Amino acid sequence: EDTGDDDNYEFGKGDFTEHACRYCGVSNPACVVRCNVPSCRKWFCNSRGNTSGSHIVNHLVRAKHKEVCLHKDSPLGETILECYNCGCRNVFLLGFISAKTESVVVLLCREPCLSVNALKDMNWDLSQWCPLIDDRCFLQWLVKIPSEQEQLRARQISAQQINKVEELWKTNPDASFEDLEKPGVDDEPQSVALKYEDAYQYQNVFAPLIKLEADYDKMMKESQSKDNLTIRWDIGLNKKRVAYFVFPKEDNELRLVPGDELRLRYSGDAAHPSWQSVGHVIKLTAQEEVALELRASQGVPVDVNHGFSVDFVWKSTSFDRMQGAMKTFAVDETSVSGYIYHHLLGHEVEVQMVRNALPRRFGAPGLPELNASQVFAVKSVLQRPISLIQGPPGTGKTVTSAALVYHMAKQGQGQVLVCAPSNVAVDQLAEKISATGLKVVRLCAKSREAVSSPVEHLTLHYQVRHLDTSDKSELHKLQQLKDEQGELSSSDEKKYKALKRATEREISQSADVICCTCVGAGDPRLANFRFRQVLIDESTQATEPECLIPLVLGAKQVVLVGDHCQLGPVIMCKKAARAGLAQSLFERLVLLGVKPIRLQVQYRMHPCLSEFPSNSFYEGTLQNGVTVNERQSTGIDFPWPVPNRPMFFYVQMGQEEISASGTSYLNRTEAANVEKIVTTFLKSGVVPSQIGVITPYEGQRAYIVNYMSRNGALRQQLYKEIEVASVDSFQGREKDYIILSCVRSNEHQGIGFLNDPRRLNVALTRARYGIVILGNPKVLSKQPLWNGLLTHYKEHECLVEGPLNNLKQSMVQFQKPKKIYN
Amino acid sequence: EDEVHVRQKVAEVDPLEEADFDQELKAVVQESMEQRRQELRGRPTLNMMIPMNVFEGSAKDHHAKGIGGESGDEALDEETGVNKEVQVKVLVKRGNKQQTKQMYIPSDSSLVQSTKQKEAAELQE
Ligand SMILES: [Zn+2]
Ligand SMILES: [Zn+2]
Ligand SMILES: [Zn+2]
Repeated sequence: EDTGDDDNYEFGKGDFTEHACRYCGVSNPACVVRCNVPSCRKWFCNSRGNTSGSHIVNHLVRAKHKEVCLHKDSPLGETILECYNCGCRNVFLLGFISAKTESVVVLLCREPCLSVNALKDMNWDLSQWCPLIDDRCFLQWLVKIPSEQEQLRARQISAQQINKVEELWKTNPDASFEDLEKPGVDDEPQSVALKYEDAYQYQNVFAPLIKLEADYDKMMKESQSKDNLTIRWDIGLNKKRVAYFVFPKEDNELRLVPGDELRLRYSGDAAHPSWQSVGHVIKLTAQEEVALELRASQGVPVDVNHGFSVDFVWKSTSFDRMQGAMKTFAVDETSVSGYIYHHLLGHEVEVQMVRNALPRRFGAPGLPELNASQVFAVKSVLQRPISLIQGPPGTGKTVTSAALVYHMAKQGQGQVLVCAPSNVAVDQLAEKISATGLKVVRLCAKSREAVSSPVEHLTLHYQVRHLDTSDKSELHKLQQLKDEQGELSSSDEKKYKALKRATEREISQSADVICCTCVGAGDPRLANFRFRQVLIDESTQATEPECLIPLVLGAKQVVLVGDHCQLGPVIMCKKAARAGLAQSLFERLVLLGVKPIRLQVQYRMHPCLSEFPSNSFYEGTLQNGVTVNERQSTGIDFPWPVPNRPMFFYVQMGQEEISASGTSYLNRTEAANVEKIVTTFLKSGVVPSQIGVITPYEGQRAYIVNYMSRNGALRQQLYKEIEVASVDSFQGREKDYIILSCVRSNEHQGIGFLNDPRRLNVALTRARYGIVILGNPKVLSKQPLWNGLLTHYKEHECLVEGPLNNLKQSMVQFQKPKKIYN
Repeated sequence: EDEVHVRQKVAEVDPLEEADFDQELKAVVQESMEQRRQELRGRPTLNMMIPMNVFEGSAKDHHAKGIGGESGDEALDEETGVNKEVQVKVLVKRGNKQQTKQMYIPSDSSLVQSTKQKEAAELQE
């Protein structure tokens, strides 16, 4: 079975070189020696770090080992140090003597050779014997001390840690420092910190958290087998077999995405043998149908439609790449510049400016004119090695990023790498950057090559297939043959792969900009690429190790774009989330004192809708780039309580219920009223694609979808086309009209998901023309932020109740908000 | 090119740790000496054969060749113009074969100082 190239890739290419100091990682051959005790044979350097003796001397003393060997690339070559006279190898006894008249020196042991009288009669001067180990260090001219830079990039190890690891080596010679700090199975993992001594400590903290998340993800996905599925068979344009089926989604968190790998099984019957094949999800239809492109084209039981089972095939690729990036960050000095290295770890670094000529204009061809705050952002970022751009909702961060990338690419520092955690964001950015005239390559995961993309013409696999030069005809011929026959002879397959790889490299190398997801930056096809300039969009939605993947390809200038006032990365494992894995690198850098450059003009929301978010989340700095007139819904007859103020809070007193699965909530009254509002919108001339229904609970989401399709007053199809989704999946997107169903309505319990101010911010900032919020003010007002929101609506006479065609101001009493203790 | 200035606390070695380590190191040296004395009751033999060519060629080498190339065998301190390092030959045995390797030693090391004094003394004679 062809598993694709990905699996042959060795992760963590930045492995320790064999001769790296086992304490600190320094690997300069002139600075290290090997302990020559056969059971040990570890390498150590001649730097002291924070301890009183050099690492090699520390090891020899504590392990009571006494022989060493120099590195083959050191000035003396591979040499076991020994007495020139008697061959004694105990380094604690050795020292150099020189000849009386010549510049010749030899090693001589002090016991007994130094006291041999006959030597004195020869040409040697014994009076000046100088010990090999001097001042708790090897003689520096023989084994060099690593430079200050080298030492700063090394693991900072204390005497206590040395003692501990030496103790561990007595029973387990292969133990590493990670083993020292490994928490027990039931221990809470170590929490993330603000600053780290070195990249090893960083790795010690994050590696276990990524492992926890990976384990949880695996467990959850692999438990998702579904039986008794009904299949609809089809054939794709590429002649591959495609299976369509409905993957029943329960209230759990699993959401299939294009590119996921599934195994489809049929247990067999009288007429069919048992069968199975894996495939990739290439599409999810609006009807929640999954399209699975199968790898096997032969033996598929296409005359059967019922009784299939499907399992999730879990892949560790993304987690492996995060672990690999952390390792590279630690052991490979060229992974990022010294400045970036120390900055990311929170060390105090003297401010550095990037010396580059600034362009005369900061906009870019093919893009809209930049506003003042966008120009300021571009200008500042171009001059700094690390910058943060905060883009509140609708402030044009994609355009700003694209303009920035344009200018970076024009600086002649090599190719620019542009990433984001999600494919959607990468596609958007790739499209905008391409509009400036730059040559863009969009690198997709192999598993997503069949997934349709709005920027298909920019993807590497498309460009490989459509490269129009005569010398590529051989590749095209083979490709055609492969498409027609489904497979190639093994020699042709070899030729095909080599040609394809060479073409891929050629196309990638000629691009100005490479765009891929953060995880995609760890693709083996980029293994030999170096990128000095890296921009990461949506960086506040990525975990730190995820962000690190694009950075360790040689970054010297880093731009993180995002908004830490909107939702962060989704962490499934509670333990890992509690330990801080959900905090993005952007956020930590903010806490470290890096001031984000904020884009200040929003072009999305009706000015009425931006007022509360601006005051509550952005200190009132958000300005409106759209006027009331530009956001007037002309011709739409909707009963807004205050004309020209397209918003209201619709008071709901219906009870919340626990959903059938027992893990989520729903609220029937709210669902019924959502349908009424949707219907009113549709009747007034709004089309389904303009409407978004947002609710924080999967139970309510499923209930609303179901309710509308059964009870909707208009054609069923209209309701099916309306997107009903969680707050989280609406992040980064917009709709003309938003209906928000809050669900929670109880006297005693909390309001759960709604408590997160960042989630509220996202929910309130998706609408361009109008918003309707359904909720129970009595319950919500206990929370200070919601209390503020309710007060805001009330003050503007937009807190209403009653039937939709006769809305009246509500007199409902709010509760006193609980104080927040911070 | 990649010059960084990290303001870090100066690595301070704990004086207690330093004293402890010093003691341990001395103990290892002491123990090694005693062990040697016990191992080698008899007189050690003399086995300091030095290939003659090392001495013969060295006078010429001393002035002509040098790893550094044109500047000769003595690296000059850029600021003071004073010799910082001198070139020596380190003689090692590989099994029964002798080998020499050229190396630079700081000119202020005691090993070099003594040779220089001797050379000076002999020149005066
Ligand atoms: Zn050892
Ligand atoms: Zn070391
Ligand atoms: Zn000896």
